[in-house]
Amino acid sequence: MDMTVWVLTMSTDEPSQSTDAHGHEHHGVEGPGYPTPAAMRTESEREKTAFVMSLRVGMDVDGPDFVGVVDVDPDSDTYAELIDTVEMPNKGDELHHFGWNSCSSSCHAEGLMRDHLIVPGQRSSRIHIIDASDPRNPAIEKVIEPEAVFEHDLSAPHTVHCVPEGKIVISMLGNADGELPGGFLQLDQDDFSIDGHWEIDRGDMEMNYDYWYQPRHGVMLSTEWAAPETYYPGFDLDDVEAGKYGDSIHVWDWETKEHEQTLTFGEEGLIPLEIRMPHNPEETEGYVGAALSSNILRFWEAEDGRWEWEKVIDVEDREHPDWDMPVPGLVTDVLLSLDDQYMFFSNWLHGDVRMYDISDTGSPRLVDQCWVGGNFAERQSVGGHDVRGAPQMLQLSRDGRRLYWTTSLFSSWDNQFYPEMSEEGSLMMKADVYPEEGRMELDEEFVVDFGDAPGGPARAHEIRWPGGDCTSDVWQ
Amino acid sequence: MSHTVTLEWRDGRETTVDVRESETVIDATERAGLGVPYGCLYGACATCTGRLLEGDLAHVERPRGLKPDHRLEGYVLLCVAEPRSDCRIEVGAEIQADLVPNPWK
Repeated sequence: MDMTVWVLTMSTDEPSQSTDAHGHEHHGVEGPGYPTPAAMRTESEREKTAFVMSLRVGMDVDGPDFVGVVDVDPDSDTYAELIDTVEMPNKGDELHHFGWNSCSSSCHAEGLMRDHLIVPGQRSSRIHIIDASDPRNPAIEKVIEPEAVFEHDLSAPHTVHCVPEGKIVISMLGNADGELPGGFLQLDQDDFSIDGHWEIDRGDMEMNYDYWYQPRHGVMLSTEWAAPETYYPGFDLDDVEAGKYGDSIHVWDWETKEHEQTLTFGEEGLIPLEIRMPHNPEETEGYVGAALSSNILRFWEAEDGRWEWEKVIDVEDREHPDWDMPVPGLVTDVLLSLDDQYMFFSNWLHGDVRMYDISDTGSPRLVDQCWVGGNFAERQSVGGHDVRGAPQMLQLSRDGRRLYWTTSLFSSWDNQFYPEMSEEGSLMMKADVYPEEGRMELDEEFVVDFGDAPGGPARAHEIRWPGGDCTSDVWQ
Repeated sequence: MSHTVTLEWRDGRETTVDVRESETVIDATERAGLGVPYGCLYGACATCTGRLLEGDLAHVERPRGLKPDHRLEGYVLLCVAEPRSDCRIEVGAEIQADLVPNPWK
């Protein structure tokens, strides 16, 4: 096909369903996504658009949160610019994490398309459904109001995964009063109506945060932050001492939806947040970043079917000349490349993002580190923009060659640790990654300053590409 | 009956708003388009934290996002607070950050 015509007449991204319009061979598969992680890595196009959760909660900017559309096509005149903002109908949502109605986990399901974003409000408990079939012109299609969520005695929606059999499952961190326990809310992919709780038996699970699943092995694992009423107002060490923050992850039977096992880390794994399993659907192991302990823990299924864990990375606290106590890195996001060869994670209080070779999964090897912003990096500005915050929410290109990140964590925690963000908003940045050489390099030309957002400064949080990414897609 | 609430921002800005019977302060500031921050709207998240400087203000739901010490120091959650007299309240995004100092600094 004539690529010139294609570029002129279609949106510049990966079409949202499988198609061979640009040579994406799908071998008789009719569903969304890609048959294997390697197919997604090698046969998809370069990302040209980024969806970025953008928010004004906890700022003196009288406006709603929005889905930011950022041009990441270097051939475009508006490269590295915020080109569209889809404003939410209400204020105060705290857009945070989001996901797709459908992904590679439904690759063999005919008729499904990856064309809707599920965008929850962390504080409001409101859930927005956004039609993103044209990536450069997304529009709100439906809003699930908080009352409909509270009816199921759940609040504080977080991780969204589409799951096989036409469902969407969202981890919910609290009950209708913002207290414990949380649970999982299931939506129907057809009309985005609420089915109810996903889980049948939550066992001793009370706290919730992120989750990942490996459908081939019938397993799901979920992590712990705290009760919304505990983490919403900000971080208080007294709450950690009082046992109000998590230190465990939970193993679930994906088929029966029952809680099976709790892995308790104690001091080694305080506040286990982001959890990632390899994209290879054969794997029965993975990693979780313990934010406060600033450790990466590896977990795996042992021969007897029980799950075990070990610490594989320990980020050393650092002494800060102006601070009273040693400062933890605060590992707030983790991701694995689509070929499962590299792990990246951010240290939001230190100010670095790290790259590890994980080809030997039990012995990650640090290969590179990028320092920018935070409390310890020498570099405190990029392209003339002061870095407010530090590397936090990560997203990697499908081909593993570009790592993007934003610098905001959570409005109240931002205001506590990087108060300038509440007035000036946060940033999106990028490093070029050279997987063959095991290194990365900050791209000083790419900075999107959300301080200049139309309507006033905003924070920037999770990033996704049309067509799927390293943290959206799971394979059956 | 309604009460006149004076809002003070730390940058020196000051304005008043009439808060009606059975109306929370945030309901009134939204009605008046004053842009006082808020989040959950049920007293859990503390985004709407203000500090009561003068007057009588009642929480109509439990202000879960505040610890007992905060309440003693006059901090209030404006999304679940109704005035019982004319009041003077310090507002703005910075107030919430008073609740949680950086524990390592």
